[in-house]
Amino acid sequence: MKETKSVKLNAQQHQQHENGHFSPFKLAKLLDPDASWDKDQLGDVLHWIRQVVALLCGLLWGAIPVVGGIWIFIFLAISTSIIYGYYAMILKIDEEEFGGHAALLQEGLFASITLFLLAWVLVYSLAHF
Amino acid sequence: MATPQFLSSFQYSDSLTVVAISFCTAIVCEAISWLLIYRTNSYKSLKSSIDKAAKKLETMKTDQNPSKLSTKKSKTKKIDRVETSLKESSRDLSLFKFKSGAVVALVLIVVFGFLNSLFEGKVVAKLPFKPIGIVMKMSHRGLKGDDSTDCSMVFLYFLCSISIRTNLQKFLGFSPPRGAAGAGLFPMPDPKTN
Repeated sequence: MKETKSVKLNAQQHQQHENGHFSPFKLAKLLDPDASWDKDQLGDVLHWIRQVVALLCGLLWGAIPVVGGIWIFIFLAISTSIIYGYYAMILKIDEEEFGGHAALLQEGLFASITLFLLAWVLVYSLAHF
Repeated sequence: MATPQFLSSFQYSDSLTVVAISFCTAIVCEAISWLLIYRTNSYKSLKSSIDKAAKKLETMKTDQNPSKLSTKKSKTKKIDRVETSLKESSRDLSLFKFKSGAVVALVLIVVFGFLNSLFEGKVVAKLPFKPIGIVMKMSHRGLKGDDSTDCSMVFLYFLCSISIRTNLQKFLGFSPPRGAAGAGLFPMPDPKTN
């Protein structure tokens, strides 16, 4: 009797363990407004979104090609509004918990600007001269 | 310069060489940092203690219960204590990083000198915008002529080293813990070093 009980308990624990094991990172979480976010996880996700947007914008700007400093600001506006829209409208998180708008919007900003400029300058120079 | 055949058809194929070299440098630098810092146990324990302290501090600050006024004082004391320990660990961490930071800086300076001798006075890329101020100084460094959209190696190397290094560190999980923000030694190549 005792043994069967312990086996049952073991099985339960095992199941729990497995459930816990599969939870760390899922793509579905990225779009789930109910998911709970760790500060580090959210920061990483925002960082990578910014880098991807920067790379895409840089490649696109260079391929078209668009010319002029104004496009840097257009990129910044696009990237910032994507980030803002993502965490405020899709995730619906409370920004106060994560250090305010400034901290969230700053995540990966400098790296993304340099990445964007690099992609833009490279594609522009290589494809159009 | 041993540029592959298909690349030589581009007028600005040098830009790819600069990007490739700085990409390799970033990998070498991270390898050095890994050898000297990240694989050591003392770094791992320091990092986990910083993360723990930062999380503890956060939870302490968020669940302040206003009904328990009597315990408020002891709570602020506790918070202070965690804060000072966090600061101490961050300082330890940056000291720890100083060692490899020096080696990495040396590598970056050597590579910068190497690139400088390769591409001195050469236009490696064309900027799609007109730079102003300090950007202009950097992008037109060592170039003759008045065309401000000419881009020298310095500016391209600066862009490469920051974007590639930051993202590589992030990708490998080597970026400094967020709790110790600002304490990390970030060995950026100094574009003014010649």
